[in-house]
Amino acid sequence: MATSFKQIEENLKNEARKLLEEGKVSLVLAYGRGYDEDHPVPFVARVVADVENIVFNEYCTANMARYLVRYPRGTKMAIAVKPADSRAVVQLIQEDKIKREDVILLGIPVIGMKNSKTGEVIDSKTTCGMYNPVLYDVLLGEEIHGQTVVSPYDVLAEYEAMDKDARFAFWKKEFDKCIRCYACRKACPMCYCDPCFIDQNKPKWGDKSPQSHGNLMYHLTRFHHLAGRCIDCGECSRACPVDIPLYLFHKKVAKECEEMFGQAAGKSIQDKPVLVNFRVDDSDKILE
Amino acid sequence: MSFEPKILGIACNWCTYTGADLAGTTRLQYPQNTRVVRVMCSSRINPSFIFRAFQLGADGVLVGGCHPGDCHYNTGNLYARRRLAVTKKILEFSGMEPGRFRVEWISASEGNKFAEVVREFTEQIRNLGPQTKFKIEK
Repeated sequence: MATSFKQIEENLKNEARKLLEEGKVSLVLAYGRGYDEDHPVPFVARVVADVENIVFNEYCTANMARYLVRYPRGTKMAIAVKPADSRAVVQLIQEDKIKREDVILLGIPVIGMKNSKTGEVIDSKTTCGMYNPVLYDVLLGEEIHGQTVVSPYDVLAEYEAMDKDARFAFWKKEFDKCIRCYACRKACPMCYCDPCFIDQNKPKWGDKSPQSHGNLMYHLTRFHHLAGRCIDCGECSRACPVDIPLYLFHKKVAKECEEMFGQAAGKSIQDKPVLVNFRVDDSDKILE
Repeated sequence: MSFEPKILGIACNWCTYTGADLAGTTRLQYPQNTRVVRVMCSSRINPSFIFRAFQLGADGVLVGGCHPGDCHYNTGNLYARRRLAVTKKILEFSGMEPGRFRVEWISASEGNKFAEVVREFTEQIRNLGPQTKFKIEK
């Protein structure tokens, strides 16, 4: 039986208070109240008094791993992680952006999270569809077992079966909607490059105004940069103000990487990201 | 006027470019549609080069590197192999014809293979016709 959101919130507050009082961490990354119940915002608790403002409910979808890389290296941090977020933390540790000993993971097993924009329940269609964090120091609820396991890649079948021209037309329509607000980049825990390739002027990789060719360049390259690193939290698509289904492309690239290299992103801190690694016996067939 | 494909060839300095040189010095005949750019290693190729080439009007992109295990920098083409495989999948899922992008391992002594690959690839692109999907409309 899954622990209720209210109970998790209580556990999260207690744990955060304890850590801050003992001085084990200098900040706790969690969720705070937004303008109403349905729109919680990312929240950083720095002193014990802040803990009262922490909330956790079914709309707390933001991936707080996004904020880990914003603080100087060596800052002791605690972070509330849902299953996908814990994979993001693992991936950041693999990439040596943070150190395992600097971060305390407050794991939250979740089921029935909701998209605050549409009110729909978030499942394996738009995210990795996991219920329990892969890595945690403290678990704030009971582990969830016995749910039917659905492959997060099932949703792709429809698009893979499409004719290539139809698929191009589909993506062109979607990318043409892009207003280049970079919300996807801001929401993504793996997008930490400074400067981002699209912000560079020398060389200028793509046009910065929201036109089709610049949009295509930005999105395709972003998918490439996240290949084998995307942990499928689906936050880019939820952050998108024009509802581009970015998660579809990320899922496709993740699926191909898993098939080709036999490793999914963010599952174990011992792994190396697939594109900065190689095996001498990789098959040439992957290039066909 | 018949369609003449415009192909970007990206060749590694140590193997494919030298192989192309050999094809030239042994006077092998092959189509002149491929413009070859030399890079120091196939792992020097940023995937954005390929997207950008298609945007700027290339009908096909041919990447040449050393045979795996023969890289001048020992492991460069092993990284490139993984990276370019992902590039290929991304191009494919975005709706681009997969035949427009090709990676070949051509060593410095394989002038014949270079000519053969270029001939074959040019023919393939000729059959596919002009690339209009990524091309920036003026």
